[in-house]
Amino acid sequence: MKKIGIFDSCVDTPEEIILAADFVPYRFFSDPTVEIDKVNEHIPPTHCMWTRNLLEQAINGLDKDIIGIIASHGCDRTNREFDIWIECINLDFMFFLNTPLKNDETALKFFINDMKELIFQMEEYFNLKITPANIKEAIRKMNQIRSFLKEISEYRSKMILKGSEFHALVKYAQTQDKDEVLEKLSSKLEELKNKKPFSNDDLKKILLTGSDIDDTELIKYLESLGFHVIIDDLGVGTRYFWNRVDENDEPIRALAKYHLNKPIYSTKFPSYKRFEVLKNLIENYNVEGVINIAQKFCEPVLYDHPYLSKKMKELGIPYLFIEVTYNRESYKQLSTRFSAFAEIISR
Amino acid sequence: MSEKKTKKTGKMLNATYGLKNIMGRHFLAIEQAFREGKPTAWATSGSPVEYLYVMGVQPMLPENSATVAAAQKYSKNFIEIAEDEGYSYDLCSYFKTNVGAVVSKAEMSKGGTRKPTFMLSTDVICDTHVNWFQVQAERFNVPHFTLDIPHVVSNTNKRQYDYFKKYVQEQLHGLVDFIQEVTGNEYKEEKAKEVINNSWDLSMVWQDIYNLRKEIPCPISTRDTFGGLFPLFCMPGLKEPIKLYKRMYKEAKQRVDNGIGALKQEKYRLMFEGIPFWHSLKFFSVLEQWGAIIVYEPYTYAFSKYMNPNVTKEYLLSNPIDAMSELLLSFWYVYDLKTRIKKFAETVEQWNIDGVILHENLSCRPNSCGLYDLKRHLMDDFNIPCLIISGDMNDPRKFNDLQVTNQIESFMEILEKSKKR
Repeated sequence: MKKIGIFDSCVDTPEEIILAADFVPYRFFSDPTVEIDKVNEHIPPTHCMWTRNLLEQAINGLDKDIIGIIASHGCDRTNREFDIWIECINLDFMFFLNTPLKNDETALKFFINDMKELIFQMEEYFNLKITPANIKEAIRKMNQIRSFLKEISEYRSKMILKGSEFHALVKYAQTQDKDEVLEKLSSKLEELKNKKPFSNDDLKKILLTGSDIDDTELIKYLESLGFHVIIDDLGVGTRYFWNRVDENDEPIRALAKYHLNKPIYSTKFPSYKRFEVLKNLIENYNVEGVINIAQKFCEPVLYDHPYLSKKMKELGIPYLFIEVTYNRESYKQLSTRFSAFAEIISR
Repeated sequence: MSEKKTKKTGKMLNATYGLKNIMGRHFLAIEQAFREGKPTAWATSGSPVEYLYVMGVQPMLPENSATVAAAQKYSKNFIEIAEDEGYSYDLCSYFKTNVGAVVSKAEMSKGGTRKPTFMLSTDVICDTHVNWFQVQAERFNVPHFTLDIPHVVSNTNKRQYDYFKKYVQEQLHGLVDFIQEVTGNEYKEEKAKEVINNSWDLSMVWQDIYNLRKEIPCPISTRDTFGGLFPLFCMPGLKEPIKLYKRMYKEAKQRVDNGIGALKQEKYRLMFEGIPFWHSLKFFSVLEQWGAIIVYEPYTYAFSKYMNPNVTKEYLLSNPIDAMSELLLSFWYVYDLKTRIKKFAETVEQWNIDGVILHENLSCRPNSCGLYDLKRHLMDDFNIPCLIISGDMNDPRKFNDLQVTNQIESFMEILEKSKKR
């Protein structure tokens, strides 16, 4: 099946529109094993490691089924680098979706217009029809996926499902054919219902926040040090499925409202409200510590860190802030800090 | 860098010295408003500061204050204070200078500022502006209004542009309501006309000055434009800076009429892309040692804002919100890559430019983004010699004097060869 690539630092792209056009939404993820080379001719090394990695992969060659790309306004990176993608990638269908910074009536109206433009351009370029009925059907399908993921996510706090396993599952959901995703999630749920909790004596139950961490190996590494990601507020995590799209509303409007009302991320205004999201998760999931991981040069997360640090202190919850480079070897260099944090939680 | 090399050779316009008084009055107006409890606002560059003047709010631009701190060598200390608060080494040095200045309660003359009644930001230039004011609005516990400006990219079409504009218009109406709610002051059309007239005139004189820079020898150097820029940020709407700019123009015109350049011997005409290194302005004197003069900086030109041919003075006066929306979407400083390349090539031709120096600003990533592609296109498609130097607008720790000087030396040799061809 043909795919539409998604360049998005904030899971703001309405996958339902892509599904309604009968394409597979395929979110780009980075790969720390990729050697960075060609991108150095386009983006300085002091810019976001994650987007540099994505562009490197894209220059090296996209999946042959990808026939177009949608980028969403997440941060300054997606904004500014979109034009460079146009320069480097040989695809005719490239759309920049200006997802609003704010959440109010004016922003909602604008977002609806921008989605309508996306539909118009897709219809025109691919010579197809994206009908409200098709979008509604896609919304139902995506809501089903969201429900499954939400239910499966709870098995993390039941100490039945590992955080890394769940993380890989969310990535799978964001890249594969949605019917296959539904099938896989359904069988996973059945499997989990019959599974017994693993021993949790020494595991430190943490909430993972920060940049949209997409390397499952990093979560596995945390697990190897005795941490268990019980909950998160990431795009490769709960932000992808926490809310549902209203199936009774006009579909484009419902999609716009859904995206504007998702748990807030550091790229949106006012981002300090992200603390409220984290606070609720901390209280509802008996979190023992918060790990905030920023990809190197991830500015929105770097701006939020001192505020979050202050608020977590007020809340009396152990908090660790870590900057990581996109290199698995570098994870190991952080072991002392992680171990010290585990000690703090144990006290 | 040796003493000999930093010797100043360029001549600043006498009129430019008047800038000190104008800026002094601006800071005084802030102090006065603060003391008298009149409404004040912080605004990010690129914000429609005119609205503040129209509604009786005294603007303050912390970015300008940050440059004041850097030029006086205080920025490093302020930046380190911000880093002690947990703000990363990699974040915007303007932002960190402002945080440090606020935390240490710095005087205005050293880059400090005052607690505002409210804050006005926009993401037209960068998301950092919004993040910055969010941090500081939380610190001061003051209201914060932000304008979300859709990002125009290389393939944005006319239909999109139209609904982008509508979105900005609605937010500008929202801004007027917000200011009225916070200050109780109303938007008055008569006052709006006066402010817009002044803002327009200020920009037009600035553009006239810029046009004189096309002359050979160029009558004006960065000594006049880097400082001369500030009224465009802080005082668009007031009469005083117009008088100053007119004096600058008159003097520069006299130089042109008499064949006098800002440099004794002008050998190379350059363009400088990016924010200057406010902490190391002597770099620009180094260029002069080579007979090189910067005759165009997109940064200082962009803020004369009225460059969109669709936005006439009549349009502005008859429909200010509509016209302002158009301007916010077509700001020189944030042109999409394709337009940026085209505009650079045109500018090089119109201003008779021999080479372009591009500042890869380590803490202003939005500005540095696209620089490599821009350079490649200018060199390959238009045969324009280009040099990228890396540094930082406000953080002297990220500026390597020796390395930059060596790069400049090599670049001058390239320019020399290119001239002989």
